[in-house]
Amino acid sequence: MYFKKSREYFITKKIDQFFIELNNALQFVWRFFKEVFKPPYEAREIIRQCYQVGYKSLFLITLTGFITGLVFTKQSRPSLSQFGASSWLPSLVAIAIIRALAALVTALICAGKVGSNIGAELGSMKVTEQIDAMEVSAVNPFKFLVVSRVLATTLMVPMLMCYSGFVAMLGAYLNVHHNELTSFISFFQAAFDKISFLDIFSSLIKSIVYGFTIGMVACYKGFHASNGTEGVGRAANSSVVLSMFLIFIEEILIVQITNSYRT
Amino acid sequence: MQGKSTGGSRAVIVGIFVFIGVAIFIVTILTLGSQHKTFAKSITVKSFFDNVNGLQKGNNIWFSGVRVGIIRNVSLRQNGTVEVDMSIEDESVKFIPYDVKAKLSTDGLIGNKIIEIYGGTPNAAKIKEGDIINAEKLLSTEAMMSTLSKNNDNLFAITSDFKIISNRLAQGKGTLGKLLTDETMMDELNATTGILKKAAQNLQQLSTNVDAYTKKLNDKGTLANDLVTDTVIFNKLRATVSRLQNVADSSQRIIANFKTTGDIINTGLKDKNTPAGMLLNDASSAATIKITLQNLQSASKKLDEDLEAVQHNFLLRRFFKKKAKEEQRVVLDTVVTK
Repeated sequence: MYFKKSREYFITKKIDQFFIELNNALQFVWRFFKEVFKPPYEAREIIRQCYQVGYKSLFLITLTGFITGLVFTKQSRPSLSQFGASSWLPSLVAIAIIRALAALVTALICAGKVGSNIGAELGSMKVTEQIDAMEVSAVNPFKFLVVSRVLATTLMVPMLMCYSGFVAMLGAYLNVHHNELTSFISFFQAAFDKISFLDIFSSLIKSIVYGFTIGMVACYKGFHASNGTEGVGRAANSSVVLSMFLIFIEEILIVQITNSYRT
Repeated sequence: MQGKSTGGSRAVIVGIFVFIGVAIFIVTILTLGSQHKTFAKSITVKSFFDNVNGLQKGNNIWFSGVRVGIIRNVSLRQNGTVEVDMSIEDESVKFIPYDVKAKLSTDGLIGNKIIEIYGGTPNAAKIKEGDIINAEKLLSTEAMMSTLSKNNDNLFAITSDFKIISNRLAQGKGTLGKLLTDETMMDELNATTGILKKAAQNLQQLSTNVDAYTKKLNDKGTLANDLVTDTVIFNKLRATVSRLQNVADSSQRIIANFKTTGDIINTGLKDKNTPAGMLLNDASSAATIKITLQNLQSASKKLDEDLEAVQHNFLLRRFFKKKAKEEQRVVLDTVVTK
């Protein structure tokens, strides 16, 4: 039984499936890069997706960012006050928000909202054979559905990250102003005192990578959905879970890389 | 999904959305750049420290409490010292003399590390590209703690001494203790104060007198005023002083001549070949003179005897008798007259 099984699968069924899935994913990514530069460019669809991903997420991102800034400042205050270092609060909050929180919170929110949306949409199109129909009607479904969505998430997540960071800093400012009556200019001067260009660019690169990951994972999961409506739910769920998991892995790697450039 | 938006309005919304997002990003970059003086023109100067205590690239540089630049680079050198490259913005260069010094400091008690530039000659030439700023030796935290510990010890010793002193004061020991507790000391002190008061009054009187005297100096016609103000008297005095000076010069010359003469005499006396020198220094001459003097004494004695004999000679006896009578008569006349 054991030998028969081992002849059937290269290693084991699950491990083989994992590597097959990995291979498919890499091919999917490779296909994206091949298709993205090839005309025709689906500009209208890209704009529509940007609207869906960016504008439609704006309220959620604004609310989340504001609360993040406000709560983070509020929670950090007692620790710093113990050392009489409340004046460091703007610097601390700015470092936390710009270096990590803005990009990470935005990516996680987008993974939840946009990732599940794309996964479910493409999944349902797949199981209802709409994608096959597009192929038949001489429309490249990959270019129309995947490239436009991945480009939209790759472009919009950095934009949302900027909004999120700005709003989070405003939230932090409100808290600091409420407690220390610090002026707007003083707060932002103190906040930017410890921030470098590396922090800004690493955050930007992070959010681009996160956006790309969310789009690719959601599209891949939706594009390969199967087993009817159950498959649609699974595609939506797994696209959120996997993109969040990958976002944290990427966070670790990018932080390691950027820290190596830091002095 | 489609919502109310059409394709056109969607494009506009996405455009605005992207525009605002990019604007926030650019404003952030520019704010950061202006705060870190990234885009400001600057010069680079160096300084060498033994220890920079964690100073980092991007830390601030202060001059008179104003931020004038940032640390560009911190690097170790072969001899173990640390080279710190500092970027000073052009706007501030005209205020910083070339002979300033740099020291490591902190922004507040537990703040960021900074380089503080201080001192320098205000009118000296200003700092320029590539200059090296002398670094002040860093006082480490350990050294500060060590000094503080010593201060604590000293403070303890001082307070112990004060404790002893206050105890002695309370017990009325020592001069101060007695002063505080002894009634007689207070009386004596009161008496002393009275004397001092009197002395002060005298002093005041004296100063009044001096004041009156100095006022008289201003009265015209007085000697003191004339001395101070009259140019004629002053000229006369000057002429007198000049004459005195001449007299003094002449006296000096005379004394010099006397000295020369004295020197010549002294030299002559020391020389055996001169008559006086021979008399003073030649023993044989002295012996000869002595014999001569003895001979002269002997000859005068004999001459005396001869003269005595001559008085008794018949030829001259009458002359001497007549002379004796004459003298006797003069004496009698004197007596009678008196």
